[in-house]
Amino acid sequence: MNTQYKKGVLELCVLALLKKRDCYGYEISEYLSNHIDIADGTVYPILRKLKSDGVLATYLQEESGGPPRKYYSLTELGKKTYQNDRAEYLDFAKSIRDLLEDDNDD
Amino acid sequence: MTKNEFLDKLESELKKNGIEDAADILGEYEEHFAFKLADGFTEEEIASKLGKPAELAAQFENEKPGEKRGGRKFTTVIGLIITDFFALICFVLLWAWEVIMAAATVGFGALAACLICGLNYRSLIPPMPYWCGAIFGLSFIALTILAAVGCIYFAAYLRQLMRSFARFNHNAMASASGRPVLPPVPTYPQLPAKMRRTLRQFALVSLAAFAVCFVLGMIVSMLSAHALGFWHAWGWFGYTGLN
Repeated sequence: MNTQYKKGVLELCVLALLKKRDCYGYEISEYLSNHIDIADGTVYPILRKLKSDGVLATYLQEESGGPPRKYYSLTELGKKTYQNDRAEYLDFAKSIRDLLEDDNDD
Repeated sequence: MTKNEFLDKLESELKKNGIEDAADILGEYEEHFAFKLADGFTEEEIASKLGKPAELAAQFENEKPGEKRGGRKFTTVIGLIITDFFALICFVLLWAWEVIMAAATVGFGALAACLICGLNYRSLIPPMPYWCGAIFGLSFIALTILAAVGCIYFAAYLRQLMRSFARFNHNAMASASGRPVLPPVPTYPQLPAKMRRTLRQFALVSLAAFAVCFVLGMIVSMLSAHALGFWHAWGWFGYTGLN
């Protein structure tokens, strides 16, 4: 599948995951690469971009028997962005699906 | 590629692209290696699953390219120089208007003093009976006060406008070079409430006094000249309209 195409949706997937709970970078990377076929390293530039956009915030949390981990969480802006983008994407996906299935019938 | 090779390559690519806090990014990848190693993967496997360092570094470049930021700063400086040039002309003109208003204030005051004291230096003031002149004099005292209030308010307004513009300049530069942006300064003068009330009262009272005294002066002049156009009767423009 086209990588450019996937990258656009990845941001939305990251937001969807963080909507459920705060995660550290590796968790997000694992979650995405389990669901979507991408290079593991691709997630980190996305996290950084989302953070500089103000959609994500980070905080450090001590872990038992290890160095503190950097957790990512949704900001208020992030929650709003997720709601908007999710609705937009589902709407878009539905249109495309209708269009492609219509093509299938011919 | 081993872990160290991968991280070294990524670091040099990030540096090449002018990415800030490369250490932070490298930390994330190092952590990734640590987790994967704990799961039993080899360094080579992890590195190849991560992707090519150059391609990854390029994805960071998309977000905050060093060159683009430098370019943005440059365009901001050019833009500000042009804006400032025109703003400077505007401010000079506005201050010139302030000077004109101040001069008018002094002029009104001098006229009022002359009319009330019955002075007429070099016959600059057209001839009229003393009492008519005195009433006009009172109206010019009121006008002096009105103009003075106008001067004070306009000066405060200009000063605030310049401060606001300076803050705009500062913030434009700050956002272009990634420094924190300060809150904007309002364009209207932030006078203390008491001073604002006093100025408004002075303005209203003096405006009313000016209107009343001026109309009264006209009426008294018309009565004493026995003509609606008293200025003609007194020959203000070199001839008497009555002839």
